Amino acid sequence: MDKILNQYLDKVDRYLRPMSAADRADIISEIKSGMAEMEAGKSLTPEQIRERLGDPRELAQAYLGEAIAKTHGCDMRKLAAVMAFYAAAGLGGMFILPFTAILGAALMLCGVIAPLAGLVKAAGFLLGMDVPVIVFQFGSWTAHPLLALPLSVLMGALFFLAGKGLWKITLKYIQIVAKGRMK
Amino acid sequence: MNIDEWRSQIKRGTLEFAILLMISRKERYGYEIISALEQWPILTAKESTIYPLLRRLLKEELLTSYWQETQRGLPPRKYYRITDRGRGYLDSMRGEWDNLLAAIDGMGRDCPESEKRPEADEGLKRDVVLKMEEGREAGNG
Repeated sequence: MDKILNQYLDKVDRYLRPMSAADRADIISEIKSGMAEMEAGKSLTPEQIRERLGDPRELAQAYLGEAIAKTHGCDMRKLAAVMAFYAAAGLGGMFILPFTAILGAALMLCGVIAPLAGLVKAAGFLLGMDVPVIVFQFGSWTAHPLLALPLSVLMGALFFLAGKGLWKITLKYIQIVAKGRMK
Repeated sequence: MNIDEWRSQIKRGTLEFAILLMISRKERYGYEIISALEQWPILTAKESTIYPLLRRLLKEELLTSYWQETQRGLPPRKYYRITDRGRGYLDSMRGEWDNLLAAIDGMGRDCPESEKRPEADEGLKRDVVLKMEEGREAGNG
């Protein structure tokens, strides 16, 4: 295969680094096959083929974007994939993605921890113990240990919803970045 | 007013449908799909769109793939085949597509029938009946 096209494939491969070696090899083989078809079927020159495929970085990013934005659920592997994507997502992503992704994940975590803390506080009170490490305080007002349970559940739900909203914004943003290249 | 922007939005929404439809008829490889789409300007898309899209459809298990050797010295081709899950999804898409066409068709006409849709009346009636039943149960209980 032509030197220009080999160089192109090397670049795409490098930008695909967040993916597994097997995935990368499969992607590169498919692009390579497409290049050969273009050469044989449309008799395009290597320069024309490179032109048609576009910037190798954007091509790799399209793969990374499709891999992240369309899966559902939320786990650490996906967070890692989001981080890897943001590394390639450019300047806008540098500000928006860390903000929404980290805050979103942190708020969802708070949403889980708050009701647990409320449960511990209330259970402690019922068993006749004070749990001084957990205090529900709003400004100068401190909630009664029993009242703390429903309050913490309510606050937890609010945290969780806010976190989930931010997480959705994160995914939406990635989708927009990935799909902006479709025109 | 930018018609290109609108066209690209339509393309975004329908490319997946078009590709699944194409592969459901016959197993195909990427270059073949791109060439086939090129016959329809509204659906024409580049490699950088189609390959990642095909990959996502694979991950979502709507498609499977296999590599096949070619004659004439070309490298092996990656063929795509639709799965049962893909067929199910395609059927749902077809249904929604028909809904959309019917809706657009309905917007264009201004005959009075389209103003009061029979299903809407049906739905309303059902709601009323349900409410009445609920009320009766509450009364009994």
